[in-house]
Amino acid sequence: MNYPSVHLAAEPSLDAFGTDNGWVIALKALLVFVFLVVFTLFNIWFERRVVARMQHRIGPNVNGPFGLLQSLADGVKLALKEDIIPKSADKVVYVVAPALSVIPAFIAWAVIPLGPVVTIPFTDIRTPLQLTDLPVGVLYILAVTSIGVYGIVLAGWSSGSTYALLGSLRSSAQVISYEVAMGLSFVTVFMYAGTMSMSGIVEAQAQNVWFILPLLPSFVIYAISMVGETNRAPFDLAEAEGELVGGFHTEYSSLKFALFFLAEYINLVTVSALAATLFLGGWRAPYPLSLWDGANEGYWPVLWFVGKCLAFIFFFIWLRGTLPRMRYDQFMKLGWKVLIPVSLVWIFGVSIVRVIQNEGGVDQQTLLIIAGVIVALLLASAFIPEKKPADEPAEPAGDFDAFAGGYPVPPMPGQRLPDPVVTVPADASQDQPRSDARDLDAPTNEEQSRG
Amino acid sequence: MNEFIAPTVEYAELSPLLIVLGAAVVGVTLEAFLPRRGRHRIQVVFTLVALVAALLATGWVAAGLDEVEGASGRGLIAAEGAIAVDGPSVFMWGVLLVFSIISVMLFAERRIEGGVSAFAGQAAALPGTEAEREASRQGIEHTEVFPLVLFAIGGMLLFPASNDLLTMFIALEVLSLPLYLLCGLARRRRLISQEAAMKYFLLGAFSSAFFVYGIALVYGYAGSFTLADIHAAVDNNTGSTNLLLAGMGLIAVGLLFKVSAAPFHAWTPDVYQGAPTPVTGFMAACTKLAAFGALLRVFYVAFGGAQWDWRPMIWVVAALTMAIGAVVALTQSDIKRMLAYSSIAHAGFLLVGFAGAYGGDGITSLQSVLFYLAAYGFSTIGAFAVVMLVRDPGGEATHLSRWAGLGKTSPLVAGVFAFFMLAFAGIPLTSGFTSKWTVFSAAWAGGAWPLVLLAVGMSAVAAYFYVRVIVLMFFSDPVVDGPTVSVPSLFTSSALVVAVVATVVLGILPGPVLDLAQQAGAFVR
Amino acid sequence: MTPELVVFWLLSVLTVASAVMVVSTPHVVHAALWLVVTLGAVAGCFLVLTAEFVAWVQVLIYVGAVVVLLLFALMLTRSPASTTGATSRNRPVAAFAGFSTFGVLAVVLTSGFRGIVLDLDSQPDQLGGAAPPERIGDTRSVGEAIFTHWVLAFEVLSVILLAALIGAIVVSGRVRDRDRQEAAAGGGS
Repeated sequence: MNYPSVHLAAEPSLDAFGTDNGWVIALKALLVFVFLVVFTLFNIWFERRVVARMQHRIGPNVNGPFGLLQSLADGVKLALKEDIIPKSADKVVYVVAPALSVIPAFIAWAVIPLGPVVTIPFTDIRTPLQLTDLPVGVLYILAVTSIGVYGIVLAGWSSGSTYALLGSLRSSAQVISYEVAMGLSFVTVFMYAGTMSMSGIVEAQAQNVWFILPLLPSFVIYAISMVGETNRAPFDLAEAEGELVGGFHTEYSSLKFALFFLAEYINLVTVSALAATLFLGGWRAPYPLSLWDGANEGYWPVLWFVGKCLAFIFFFIWLRGTLPRMRYDQFMKLGWKVLIPVSLVWIFGVSIVRVIQNEGGVDQQTLLIIAGVIVALLLASAFIPEKKPADEPAEPAGDFDAFAGGYPVPPMPGQRLPDPVVTVPADASQDQPRSDARDLDAPTNEEQSRG
Repeated sequence: MNEFIAPTVEYAELSPLLIVLGAAVVGVTLEAFLPRRGRHRIQVVFTLVALVAALLATGWVAAGLDEVEGASGRGLIAAEGAIAVDGPSVFMWGVLLVFSIISVMLFAERRIEGGVSAFAGQAAALPGTEAEREASRQGIEHTEVFPLVLFAIGGMLLFPASNDLLTMFIALEVLSLPLYLLCGLARRRRLISQEAAMKYFLLGAFSSAFFVYGIALVYGYAGSFTLADIHAAVDNNTGSTNLLLAGMGLIAVGLLFKVSAAPFHAWTPDVYQGAPTPVTGFMAACTKLAAFGALLRVFYVAFGGAQWDWRPMIWVVAALTMAIGAVVALTQSDIKRMLAYSSIAHAGFLLVGFAGAYGGDGITSLQSVLFYLAAYGFSTIGAFAVVMLVRDPGGEATHLSRWAGLGKTSPLVAGVFAFFMLAFAGIPLTSGFTSKWTVFSAAWAGGAWPLVLLAVGMSAVAAYFYVRVIVLMFFSDPVVDGPTVSVPSLFTSSALVVAVVATVVLGILPGPVLDLAQQAGAFVR
Repeated sequence: MTPELVVFWLLSVLTVASAVMVVSTPHVVHAALWLVVTLGAVAGCFLVLTAEFVAWVQVLIYVGAVVVLLLFALMLTRSPASTTGATSRNRPVAAFAGFSTFGVLAVVLTSGFRGIVLDLDSQPDQLGGAAPPERIGDTRSVGEAIFTHWVLAFEVLSVILLAALIGAIVVSGRVRDRDRQEAAAGGGS
């Protein structure tokens, strides 16, 4: 049998990488580090100001212009606090955990493209604004961030405290669950881009449209799962202060706590940068700006890239400012029963469309029409009334046991509190008709009359 | 622009496999969407229909196999070299599917448990708790066993037909995983059942590790997973012999574990005893067949050129297996454990045929082993079906003492069981005799006469404990308030009838099946 | 010695040492953590051998998911600081078995592969000259191998996962109340 061969998307080359000399690599690594630390300080301030505005407050405005130095002051204060190691902690793991959390957050940035190939000022050296790139760049980021989970899990476990342990348990389950949905949302991007390298994906979006347009469902799934992946509100169950004090970092103080804080904010930026790169064209200028020829050259793209990241960060803050925390089981249900199945169906659909396109059977317009019909059908199916389970028979009221299991408990739905005990003077008791309620409470009555 | 050449898959030739695996997936879907009430009936019908369809497809594939030029076999290498659809494969597919149909009929039996199947109502409930009794009372069942058994059958179809070691390893996992689970689902005696599943899983995982390590070493030797390439490498003696020997040994460990040959047999009695009896019958017949098929293919096709290296090892294993199986069976007091040791002994007899490695005129070792597996499978499923019927209030009466005098209270069931015992012992006019005869004569022709002499001796030892059961059933007094023999539904009865008829026919008129096995010819490379 | 070889040696030593720690530490969570180091070091070995796809998948799946699940199970079933349970009187026997296996395999492997050098910079051109020479183990060659030669094995693997999924549900899932009522109404006949 002779099958038609399939045209794959053009493979972008990674020739621009791997040619830097030593000091350029060191310089780029240092710049990425500095960028992340400064951006984190800025983000903390940004978050506090924005949330404050949403809550009709002012927020930090004392230290520096607009309070910009507030985070720096907080950082110094944190560093000067006493470093506590709990007695029941597993010391080595306890000390290693914050580092395990923060290091992967930094090294994930090795493959994030901040801009095109540029000339370093005062030299002739041309280099891409990206530390390096791999043919499997996105996989690398996923792998590295998944190591970051250990920081949280081990911090909770090694603290030797129940709150911390529960927080880390929640967090590990959460990150693993949402990583699946996250990975699945990337699959369609890979199918369209034909590569897993970050710069290649940016390149592919330069040739076509930004992937947010054809792959909107993937983007939505990613946007939801990135919030779960970073343990941010409304999915911040790992450090739900109302339930678990501080969650996994309850026992941490001083610089170790600061490291967790740093890791969390870097992860925030990482997932934003990933979203910008995979779905929003990376460092390339958005539409009206892209009409200007110089917009995608030189150091300008860094500005567009940071702008896109900031937009995502604002989205994160907005979520935190407006949404209440989800319940844990609802959260898991959302991940496993909604996001993952929807992703799978969507990947299935996209691959069918890709095959049809590759074989050249149907033109774009027909495809759009078919897609429209399917969407309409799906929307219509949402109006089909759901079958309600038959009403459960109300449980007999007599079953209510106020001390079930040895603890005072409230009545369940359908149960009824027993009638209040009426204390009757001994001489009047003959007039009282005997009710079931009184039968039940007979000993109590006796007790009371004795007393 | 880079081109990607799409692979070629011979869907028509692979149809039996695809039907079974596809039906398993559909079965899972049925499980998700059907209301619980009618699920059992629909799953049974669906599973049986799928298996019959696969059987018909196998017949169709068998009819259409072409001669291979320049080789003795018929068939082709399908799916980019992953599967050999040749005579032996198709023969094994057919026999496996027949066994599977019979086993699924035993799985479907619900009358003897009083309206529920032999599988746990709710596997997650702790044994002996209120939750378990509640599930039992309400007639909740795990109908997932039917898709699971289909998965296992799919793996078994793939296992002996794989043409490269990687596919073979994956097939091994596909067939094992559902079996591990099924072993832990017995309705009665939950703890023993869970222990069986745990043991089988741990030891099975361990043996898979051996197998895959062996594959890695053989890959290092030959630079390929494909059996034909390994054969070429062995013939040309290209790599390091140490690698080949170590790899061959480790692969043998993995496969011998599955056929329950000594010294890798230790799981067999515990698992056979703990697993639900229909599953035990299924394992005893089908797993053994699939694993022997794979063993034959790997050692005859890939390592055929190195047979002077592996034959001594197989000789020792065969002798040990027969001896342990036959001798230890003498001391057993539980009928399922006794059958387990008997199955070990039979694995030994099969290994004798395998060790002969005779490929000349007449019946080859391969064909004799295939015939033996077909004959043995019917009897063993039948024997376990009888075990299902003899019951105490607490479940199956598996202790041998409970079977005393059964011939007087229920002569028919005892007679059928006695007949299977005679077949196991290899008495003339049963399938056991003809199959032992073909295997031993092929082994003799292959020069393994010391092994054959030992095998005949061990058959005599084995005959002792088979006959002991018969004597116990017919010539001792019935126990007071002894076990009752339940009247099974049509499923079990017809399975039993098929098993008895096959055992008789293969004993008296082995010709047609033997011809089929002979027509299967040799493995295709 | 090339730098690659030095790195490879360091990673190998790390792999073996941490693997020994996995089986010798009495603390079961520490054992899991040493397992992380082992698996990570193996991923590093893959990287040195230019199999980057396999390497990162190894990190993603084994380090990032499997061991996290393992830790998850440990934390759910044990008190946080318990150090008992991982010691056994069979240790000498196990050590003997382990070291003798190691010895045999070391002899077999070194005798089998001594002097064999794998050229990682090029590979035989399987596509009839259409494709440029590629490096072994890159994403493209892995993908092509999976979807041509190993396509059947790849698809059957998904069957294993499905069977495992169903099995996990069977042994752990509880019957929902609605089904319970339904079954009761059906009388379980």
